Amino acid sequence: MKNIALLFLVLVLALEPAAAQAQEDFEPEEMTAFIIQAPHGVVENGLAAGDSNLSAYVFFETYHNGNMNVTMEIDVPEGFVLQDTSLHSFSLQTEYEDWYRLIDIYIPEETPPGAYNISASAIVDVNGSKHSIVRKAQIRVASKEEIANEISVSGLVIPSDEDGYGDPRRPSNTLVIRETSPALKKLLKATELQIDREELISTYIGVEVSNKGKSTVSVIVTYDILDIKTGETVKAYKPDLMGMSADAFCNAALKLPPGSSSLASIPLYISDNAMGGDYLLRVNVKLTGSDWTAVKHDQKITSISRKWGPITITFVSILIGLAAVSLFFSRSKEIMDRFKTRNLVLISLFGTVSFAAINLPMTILWELSHAIFGPFSFLFTGLFHEILLYMLIASLVVLIPKPGVVSLFMLVRFLLGGFITGSFTPITFITLSLNAVILELMMYTAGISGKNPDPENRFRMGFVCGIAEMVSGYAGFSVWMVLYRLFYSEWYIIANILISGFLYTFIGAWFGISLGNRLKKVAE
Amino acid sequence: MIGARTIAEATIRDTIIHRIDPRAKILILISTVFVAVALDNPRTMFLLFLIVLSGFALAKMPAIKLKTLAILLILLIWGTIYSQALFYSQLPRTVIFTIISPDFPVLGWLTNGGLFVYEEGLRHGAIQGLRSASILSLGLLMCWTTDSRDMLNGLVGLRVPYSVAFMVVTAVRFLPIIITEVTTVITVQRLRGFNPKKFGSGIIRTTLNILTPTLSNCVRRTGTLAVSVQSRAFRANTERTYLKKLKFSEFDKAVLTICIFAAVSIVVIKLLYNMYTSGIYYTSGLRPVYAIARGYL
Repeated sequence: MKNIALLFLVLVLALEPAAAQAQEDFEPEEMTAFIIQAPHGVVENGLAAGDSNLSAYVFFETYHNGNMNVTMEIDVPEGFVLQDTSLHSFSLQTEYEDWYRLIDIYIPEETPPGAYNISASAIVDVNGSKHSIVRKAQIRVASKEEIANEISVSGLVIPSDEDGYGDPRRPSNTLVIRETSPALKKLLKATELQIDREELISTYIGVEVSNKGKSTVSVIVTYDILDIKTGETVKAYKPDLMGMSADAFCNAALKLPPGSSSLASIPLYISDNAMGGDYLLRVNVKLTGSDWTAVKHDQKITSISRKWGPITITFVSILIGLAAVSLFFSRSKEIMDRFKTRNLVLISLFGTVSFAAINLPMTILWELSHAIFGPFSFLFTGLFHEILLYMLIASLVVLIPKPGVVSLFMLVRFLLGGFITGSFTPITFITLSLNAVILELMMYTAGISGKNPDPENRFRMGFVCGIAEMVSGYAGFSVWMVLYRLFYSEWYIIANILISGFLYTFIGAWFGISLGNRLKKVAE
Repeated sequence: MIGARTIAEATIRDTIIHRIDPRAKILILISTVFVAVALDNPRTMFLLFLIVLSGFALAKMPAIKLKTLAILLILLIWGTIYSQALFYSQLPRTVIFTIISPDFPVLGWLTNGGLFVYEEGLRHGAIQGLRSASILSLGLLMCWTTDSRDMLNGLVGLRVPYSVAFMVVTAVRFLPIIITEVTTVITVQRLRGFNPKKFGSGIIRTTLNILTPTLSNCVRRTGTLAVSVQSRAFRANTERTYLKKLKFSEFDKAVLTICIFAAVSIVVIKLLYNMYTSGIYYTSGLRPVYAIARGYL
């Protein structure tokens, strides 16, 4: 028994210094990292406004390779309202494990201006041994008016370069909506890839923020593009990127020493479906960690939508038209010599009939029905215009199945229309020349005209004329949109070229063959 | 029909506009088309429209033609306003009337979210309608102040092949005859019980019934006319002489120079400005040009 008591005594004496050694080895300041930022993101003294919420950031990390229980208490000045529990307990098991929280604090409006401390005290329990660590963050509370007077947006550059400086190569306060390349879109669809945000970046906004106050201020700068009339945010200028809200990318943090100004550059993303027009760019400056917007700065901006599809089609159509006219003028003798005089007379008389039966009544009827039925007038006018016109074209080709007949017919119509009704318009020139070129090419390829012509196949004639009319009709809409700055919905264009462009034309060409065959008998 | 012919034919008078050489008129029209297409500033577009309209006053146009012009312009501008009110796709836009609700079965889906009348579209249509109105007005002024034969001489003077000019002359000459024939055929068809206004398949039948005799006459006439013109040495010689020689007056030259210079300048300035706004080309030396384009064009 005496031996056992002796052994116990030796054991106690041996273990006690070891435990004491362990306690002595744990230096809380060195074995932990403990940070409090109020507001979040501000390392030194922060600034807060009365009647606003701020988020404080508390971070605790252990460098001790062992179990550690921490009890943390947040202490806010009297009057401040902690939106969360003030007490947090957590356990850290291994080296470099950490814990953090964003603590929301409401600062009442009546809080007197001055400096306040927000403290976080942690009781660290390591193997039953408790250590206390305290951290404090000082914030200066000021009235909203005071802060708003101190901070201002002193410069706004849109568009800017990546550093926020103005780019004289681009007009100020103007955005250009770029279309994503159709090839890229197709590739992304095929590879099931999302459009990367870099591909969507349109430009940058340069915002210069000044601090006239006597203390350092940390701010977050964000922007919104609003409908100038309703004030609603326009989503197309802040599209979701990679499944996240664009707000996550469209901001900049600035630290403003007293009496300084700083320039921030914020990316601006524009989605494909954005519309042109006038917008309101609203720049918001918030104190870091606060939900209160200290400064709002509005600027009217204009967005220009450049639809490269219609521009390209218009350009190509003009080129085709000019090329066709140039070719005709340069080789007019060879071209005209291929036609007998009676062919020329017949073509001009058909031109006269088309003018008398279509152009003249249509001059009033077209405008009248357009005024009554609006854009849907094509359903009505197409019955006369497309069906009659293609009846005449098809019957003329049946009578003279030579390449160039359609072009001459179109030329006579164009000149006649110009002389009688003054319709020497770019639209008429482009659509008629394009229509003539496409019809000639397709008729020649399909064997309707040429060396061994077979113009009496109704289906082939209808199909060729329908496709040619659809193409020139689509080009016509592009020309209207580009040269005359008019808008048309895609569904409307599709409906128009399908119904009036193809269906009516097909019907006209189909019956034109019958008419041509009857006239052939007269000619014979 | 006689009324239509009166409206379509030129009113020959001795005014400053009538005296302008037809070639100059064609070139002025082409220049104006370029200017009208290049302009974006509503005030400048309206100014262009007023300048064109002043030509009608200088030409002392008869009331019937001014009425026709007014009707055509009203219909044209209203048509543009109507379509743009529906399809306007810029912001801000305010819906003042819903034609097809987005929830409307089938049509709501077909129209990709409904069809509305937008207030801003009405304004946009009115402004853009001025563009077409200027072109149409000048085209009509040209037609109503120039005899078709002079116009064709002008075309030939502008190196349009004579064969083409001949075809157009033929077409112009036969236009009254064919209009009369079409009227006669319609009367005959009515007497036989057809209703030309009958919708649907009736339109095709009526059309065939009108076109067949009209075109048959044309085909018959073709042979006679071809023999007639060939017997008068049509295309026998490469060089042709004309009874009436066209000559530019000093006034023509001055007006033409101003118009072409203005058109080229405006188009080049707009082109440079568009290249600048699209980020294609910029040079600081052109800043005054960009300012002019932005402010006035």
